[in-house]
Amino acid sequence: MFAVHYRKILLTIALVLTVASLAIVAFLGLKPGIDFTGGSLTEVVYNEVPEKSALSEVVEKLGIGEFSIQEAVDETGRNGYLVRTQDLTEAERVLVSQAVTSIGKDGEITRFTTVGPVMGKELRDKALWAVAGVVLIIVLYVAFAFAGIGKPVSSWIYGSITILVLLFDVIVPMALVSILGHTSGIEADILFVMALLAILGLSVNNSIVIFDRVRENLVLNRIEKRTKKMEAGVVREEVEYTITKPFDEIVGESISQTMARSINTSLTVLLALFALYFVGGEVTKVFALTLIAGVIAGTYSAICTASPLLVVYAKWQEKKQAETQTKQ
Amino acid sequence: MTNQPVKISNESTSSKTDNFLRAFRAVVVLGILGWLAFFVYSNTVNENAEKPFKLGLDLAGGSHLVYEADTEGIDPIEIPDLMNTLKAVIEKRINVFGVSEPAIYVETSSIVSGEQHQRLVVELPGVTDVSKAVEEIGRTPLLEFKLVDLEALAAQQSISEITGKGKDGEDTKAIVKVATSSLLAMGEPYIDTGLTGRYLESARLEFTGAQSGQVANEPVVSLRFTGEGADLFAKITRENVGQQLAIFLDGEVISSPRINEPITGGTAIISGGFNPQEARDLAQNLNFGALPIPIELINTQTIGASLGQEVLEKGVKAGVVGLGIIILFMLLWYRLPGLIAGVALLSYVVIMLALFQFIPVTLTAAGLAGFIISIGMAVDANILVFERMKEEFLSGKTSRESAREGFRRAWGAIRDSNITSILAAIILFWFGSSLVKGFALVFGIGVLISMISALVITRTLLMALPEVEQDRGKVWRFLFGSGFFK
Repeated sequence: MFAVHYRKILLTIALVLTVASLAIVAFLGLKPGIDFTGGSLTEVVYNEVPEKSALSEVVEKLGIGEFSIQEAVDETGRNGYLVRTQDLTEAERVLVSQAVTSIGKDGEITRFTTVGPVMGKELRDKALWAVAGVVLIIVLYVAFAFAGIGKPVSSWIYGSITILVLLFDVIVPMALVSILGHTSGIEADILFVMALLAILGLSVNNSIVIFDRVRENLVLNRIEKRTKKMEAGVVREEVEYTITKPFDEIVGESISQTMARSINTSLTVLLALFALYFVGGEVTKVFALTLIAGVIAGTYSAICTASPLLVVYAKWQEKKQAETQTKQ
Repeated sequence: MTNQPVKISNESTSSKTDNFLRAFRAVVVLGILGWLAFFVYSNTVNENAEKPFKLGLDLAGGSHLVYEADTEGIDPIEIPDLMNTLKAVIEKRINVFGVSEPAIYVETSSIVSGEQHQRLVVELPGVTDVSKAVEEIGRTPLLEFKLVDLEALAAQQSISEITGKGKDGEDTKAIVKVATSSLLAMGEPYIDTGLTGRYLESARLEFTGAQSGQVANEPVVSLRFTGEGADLFAKITRENVGQQLAIFLDGEVISSPRINEPITGGTAIISGGFNPQEARDLAQNLNFGALPIPIELINTQTIGASLGQEVLEKGVKAGVVGLGIIILFMLLWYRLPGLIAGVALLSYVVIMLALFQFIPVTLTAAGLAGFIISIGMAVDANILVFERMKEEFLSGKTSRESAREGFRRAWGAIRDSNITSILAAIILFWFGSSLVKGFALVFGIGVLISMISALVITRTLLMALPEVEQDRGKVWRFLFGSGFFK
């Protein structure tokens, strides 16, 4: 199986991508949306769009503190701007709407959102808790579901690998949004967090399906040896399992057997996402794009990282055991 | 087929009754789905449908206002009751405003954010000019009765006098410091009594008679308390005879009459030097209901109606396109079983839509996006089963045996992957704000239904197909094969 055979190259690629993505996110950062920071967002569209500088001038005159203006296209294809300000009071909102619609032809406010700083902080906290909660449940469930797997790799390792893979699947789309935030002002809002959570779910599904097959193949390729022991007058039966095939072969087989499923499922999700991206509304475009990056990363990691990591760990464990034995 | 020498299990008998039963089950499943599809269709097309789709404001257009209630110093046990009163008062206000189907509800922030915030959410479909609505709600008066601590009040007044003098060039800092510390020692001059506008039954414009030193014909507002309010008022006046009871309107003292004797009749008079018009407006506003607790607008969102419509249309289009491509893919790759997966996927969509109408689930742009993605994910269980089935079929089993085996063996993976998804959805629902909750609900239900559609619908239909053995001609083998195999 190529994924096991070329595991060093494949894992290196994943590692390089992870480090690069981490660096991008760390240096460029994510531009948090107003749902997290608090503030106001006014979308204004025109039939004849005024100059950005003209708009900037009118808003400047209002004296409502710092603001930023970004070009935007609304759902019906009309051009306009997104004006970001601190969170506005009702009176300020009226001032801003009047000011921005007064310039340009047929100015219309298509969207207005204001989020108080308390709400923003609360949403941020909630998002963090939700992500932490989901991750925790996943590790616990995987460790629990694979509890009986025992040899040669313990179920906690399956759980931990699931998380490592998950980090990769999440950091790659994060880096993409980070870059897009830098180049075209895309913000990480609550929809972005939801996209990440959906990626979490898909990533875990992928890992679980392959690990499930590994578990099944381990049972198929083992010999049971039962020994009865008398201990303090009680007969105790001990069962010892010996795997008849090398672990890496079993893992390789499992990957081949689940490969069609991994690719096909990712493909159907991607088809839905492409439909959403190209046909769906503007509001969910970034959401779809984040998920597309996540699903592609997830397909790579499911086949080329999750199980190879298992083999790497098993080999390392073997080596360590051999070392301790030679020492003895 | 009848002279098959070895039977794998009792179930695999292919006698006529069994075949009939399988076909019958398939027809029943298809019949139910057809009926459900018709139900959804008629509910969507019919304007006066009992259970139409419920669209969120970002799809229907309108305004979303969030008010935060100031619950400081209020007994937590009383809060739910107060919030309900608040809701009722605002509801009355909004109804005057004439918005069709406004939604007003109380939202409590989740435990994770430390302090619990009480919020009132006002949703106004179709209203894009919030200023009128905000003004209308803002006109709801906040009525409070507070006892006056005369010493503290005197201290406060003297401080403001001192600080006022201080501005004239004296050593301001020191004085303010002394003043502030003495103020802190004295505490608040006004003490909450718990008697607020929530205990108000009615308010009326009256004119005073020429008695007890008052100006004749001064317009005043006469208040009538509810039974509970009257008791509370009687208790307060009984216990504090000789003290002053200040009447606060929207946080400002209107008057602070002295309590001469206990008042048990359940009425009170606000006289604050009103002119007749002011008094009439106040009485009217109080009759619509007074705020039981102060509120503050903390969040506004407005979506233009045409914008929402556009998002909805594009979302639906994306869903249809996505569904079409996925079914096509399944058909091309998995052939006959793929066709069945297509039917199962269609039924997944129909069941979900029916649930959206029934529960009802408020559809938002995010929820719609989540649903479209879930269409892509819903075939996962089918793919798992078909891949397993193919392996069994290639190993020489008949089509039905391999289907049965496929379902049996894929079950573990389907179960494990779906349970994590459902757990994730529950957590999201638990922690999430209303937007996230909608998404979590769609996601959670989607996972459950997709599992059911794969395990029940696909299975029933697949079992109803004729049994195909390995040597049964190329056409059948082709139909049960997949991918690039012949």
